[in-house]
Amino acid sequence: MNLPAPEQAPHNFAMFGLECRYDIEREQLERAYLALSAEHHPDRVAGADTRTQRLAMERSSLVNQAYRTLRDPVRRAEYLVKLGGIDLDSTDPKTGAPHPNQAFLIEMIEQREALEAAKSNGDDAVEDFCDDVEERADTCLSAAVRALSGGDISQAARELVTHRYLARLLEEARA
Amino acid sequence: MAYSNKVIDHYEQPRNVGSLDKNAEDVGTGIVGAPACGDVMKLQIKVEQGVITDAKFKTYGCGSAIASSSLVTEWVKGMSIDKAEEIKNSQIAEELSLPPVKIHCSVLAEDAIKAAIKDYREKNKSPTES
Repeated sequence: MNLPAPEQAPHNFAMFGLECRYDIEREQLERAYLALSAEHHPDRVAGADTRTQRLAMERSSLVNQAYRTLRDPVRRAEYLVKLGGIDLDSTDPKTGAPHPNQAFLIEMIEQREALEAAKSNGDDAVEDFCDDVEERADTCLSAAVRALSGGDISQAARELVTHRYLARLLEEARA
Repeated sequence: MAYSNKVIDHYEQPRNVGSLDKNAEDVGTGIVGAPACGDVMKLQIKVEQGVITDAKFKTYGCGSAIASSSLVTEWVKGMSIDKAEEIKNSQIAEELSLPPVKIHCSVLAEDAIKAAIKDYREKNKSPTES
């Protein structure tokens, strides 16, 4: 399997011979990843000229990045949204991450206060808090996946942004 | 990534952390978020005769976001709301020597002070203006 030059990289699904959709065959991903890693491993061109070595390095890094994106359920969904034209890492008002409504932001502040209270009530309280947030985050991801399969990129983007806020909250709760 | 000394200073000793009564007539509250990273920031101002007499914030985010909001609360105290409305994120980023990947933190702080002023103005709109 030949990879094109990094600047014209195919989208990540095609790289692993996968269909461009959320539900992927994990075994196929793992198999293709191993094959590509072996094929493009920089060690294989250890004796070659600098340009060949650099290219091999870039390609193997592309393969690794693509693999990490597809393996992770959240990043895979975010990537599909990006292919649909909305980049959650961007702040562009049109093509960047959509802003959640004010009520949600206020709730996120209140959740921090609830977290402080939970922390002063001991580990069990924090554990319960984390469970709740995790459940909400899972619900968001499921809703995003449903929106994606229905072709509603905007809705999927909104759910995934909510997921990012909840993931941030969870990170703080577990710190 | 290295944080500048000023960021570390504000992060370790944030100024004006806390809350003001969001229902008070003379208090404006701005709550903003950064969708890309999930950071949230609440900035509140207390206004007397067009001048900001107190400012408080609560920021849940990275060191740069905390430093940006801390710095803004320090700056705006004693400032007129008209003047505070003109604060640009570039001034915040420059003061804190924020690297390009952290510029969005200063944008968040600018958005927060603007939102707080807007909230205050809406609360205190005289009937003739509306």
